[in-house]
Amino acid sequence: MAAQTGTLIRLELCNIFGWNVFRFSRDKKAKRKAVMLMAVWIWLLAMMVFYVGGLSYGLIWLGAGEVVPPYLFMISSLLIFIFGMFKAGSVIFRKGGYDMLCALPVSRTAVVLSRLARMYVENLLIVLAVLLPGAAVYAWSERPGPAFFLTLILGVWFVPMLPMAGAILIGALITGLSSRMRHKSLAATGLSIMTMFAILYCSMRISVLGDISPEMLKELTSVITDLLGRVYPPAMWLGAAAVQGDLHQGLFFIGASLGIFGTVSAGVSFFFHQICRGLFGNSARHDYRMGRLKEDSLLVSLCRREFRRYFSSSVYVTNTIMGPVMGCIFSGALLAVGTDTLTASLPASIDLASLVPIMFAGIFCMMTTTATSVSMEGKNWWIAKSLPLSAKNILDAKLLMNLLLFLPFYLLSQIFLILALKPGAEELFWLLLIPAVFLLFSCVYGITVNLHFPVLNWENEVSVVKQSASCVLGGMGGFLLAIPCAVGAVLVPKEHAWLLKGGICLGLLLITGFLYRKNNRFDLCGRV
Amino acid sequence: MLRIEHLTKHYKGSSKGVTDLSLHIAPGDIYAFIGHNGAGKTTTLKCAAGIQDFDAGTIQVGGLDIQKAPLECKRQFAYIPDNPDLYEYLTGIQYLNFVADVFRVGAREREERIREYGDRFEITASLGDLISTYSHGMKQKLALLSALVHQPRLWILDEPFVGLDPKAAVILKEIMRSVCAGGGAIFFSTHVLDVAERLCNKVAIIRDGALAACGNMEDILRQGQSLESIFMEVVDHGGADRNAD
Repeated sequence: MAAQTGTLIRLELCNIFGWNVFRFSRDKKAKRKAVMLMAVWIWLLAMMVFYVGGLSYGLIWLGAGEVVPPYLFMISSLLIFIFGMFKAGSVIFRKGGYDMLCALPVSRTAVVLSRLARMYVENLLIVLAVLLPGAAVYAWSERPGPAFFLTLILGVWFVPMLPMAGAILIGALITGLSSRMRHKSLAATGLSIMTMFAILYCSMRISVLGDISPEMLKELTSVITDLLGRVYPPAMWLGAAAVQGDLHQGLFFIGASLGIFGTVSAGVSFFFHQICRGLFGNSARHDYRMGRLKEDSLLVSLCRREFRRYFSSSVYVTNTIMGPVMGCIFSGALLAVGTDTLTASLPASIDLASLVPIMFAGIFCMMTTTATSVSMEGKNWWIAKSLPLSAKNILDAKLLMNLLLFLPFYLLSQIFLILALKPGAEELFWLLLIPAVFLLFSCVYGITVNLHFPVLNWENEVSVVKQSASCVLGGMGGFLLAIPCAVGAVLVPKEHAWLLKGGICLGLLLITGFLYRKNNRFDLCGRV
Repeated sequence: MLRIEHLTKHYKGSSKGVTDLSLHIAPGDIYAFIGHNGAGKTTTLKCAAGIQDFDAGTIQVGGLDIQKAPLECKRQFAYIPDNPDLYEYLTGIQYLNFVADVFRVGAREREERIREYGDRFEITASLGDLISTYSHGMKQKLALLSALVHQPRLWILDEPFVGLDPKAAVILKEIMRSVCAGGGAIFFSTHVLDVAERLCNKVAIIRDGALAACGNMEDILRQGQSLESIFMEVVDHGGADRNAD
């Protein structure tokens, strides 16, 4: 059993981050893409180091140094939980290699453990990326005793376990429930979105549960400690071991991590075959009778296929629908809270009417579907290439699908924003135009990036939707662009705001037009 | 119908590919393309289908250059790969409707063709099911059906008999003969030499990316040898005859 598990773990880990392909591929193009992907991850890592290091330094500077270790434990745990929640099901119960493994004399526990090991290694890297820079700043500023370093060296191995157990539990429940239904993907998508709303609701409840008094605000340490205690108590246990040298709390954390992770893993292992059988089983009816068929235009036919592709993948839906959903929540919250409170808390020089459309656009365009739409074709890409379809035919359908998908969310959000802001004619014009231009740009830019960084030879959709270069670079185009634009809206005086907004819209439309033309001339057969 | 002239395609960092390959497939031809694994058959077929670019040479379909007028060329043929990975999230009928929309096949014609060939391949009852539930053979049948929906003049097929049940294989051979009788052409790769010998009027043997032999099946068999023995001789000892016409 141990030998089997070891072999399967080696098999899982040998191609982590595409290392094995990079090592043995003779295709220079594939190697170049792997290097580019690595560069993107290093860039993200650098941003993380900068953010965590800055945050830790800020807390120490404000006199709340002792909350830095538990705060770092909480950040890394939350990242693992959020990123892992919707991908855990697809990773553990993936189809790739299932039939082959079933035919081999290996136990299901070994299969499950090998898949969990891969997740564990990826999550351990997240923990290290968060803990190391923060801990370095803390150690340099606070000069902690040996208990801190001992806790760090021992505890780091156990930090991923609890959030992973939570993510695996949710992922397995969603996958297990949907595996019993006829429309599995649709069911998994619905359950994932419901879970997302439940977590958002709970997080809002947690943040308003306690009454924070003005006296507490003066004591930053107690405010953060209170927050940590409510959001993620285990971070406090390990924090106590690191800061106060509390051995009991540290051991309790390790015991709880091992116990809960082991229990969840055993549960997943027990139901593994049952869930896989439900997921990969044949549910064909063989009762079709030829009826009347309808002829459609090329664009309608291609666009309908894009929609079917989109809704067939729960991980694709949950990853891309977050932006529009958050946009609706943002505008709904603005309507619920009212703009007076917000205006009062902002400096008088800031024009809310300029800032809100840009902020909304940034949130709304958080992740487009187009950024991974070419990659999602995967092994089916030969069909589009062999049919008499131009690049424009194929890409227009992907673009239109994204725009149509986001349209109801855009309209709902705009109704909330109009009711909240009560804009005049000019403000209404910008409120409607800016998010629309951002969305158009984000969709076209997403296609551009995906054409340059396609991943077609994938085994699991997660590697495309959540881990590919085009997902990181292309999906967040609009969101990243909104940040400097929002800074500009804060800095530019109110009387010149129209100039900034006009400039942003005109500039983005010109870039969008340029990219759109370039995309449509892309050599799909030669370069993708 | 299909004219491949001096086709050269090499993959970066690999010794595999195709070098200076010329083949002419005329209307009425059932042209078998045989060779050992990794010889360059699939590469040639992919280049001919316009789904892979190439380094040198020209490929013409119906007198049109595949690189200069790809859409016009693709309207004339159907390509089916050795492992038809179809859109698993569509049902069989949705896939056929999609292909018919792309080729602008009228509603009535598509209905008639799907009904006729669906029944012949005994797949009609499964057309309402998702393709993800299909076996390899059923996917192969659906891919063939998708070609029959738009009735192309040229068929480019990579190992079309793999996965088909004996009855479907017989039907496919009948369809291939009727396509050629109607002035169409079929260019397909296969490892089943018996089928090639009995079905095809022309054959080409590829060895290490280069054309080792080609010609009329009758001329080859007139020498008293079977296709199998000729193939073994060519593969073991190099080219026997180089004739693109």
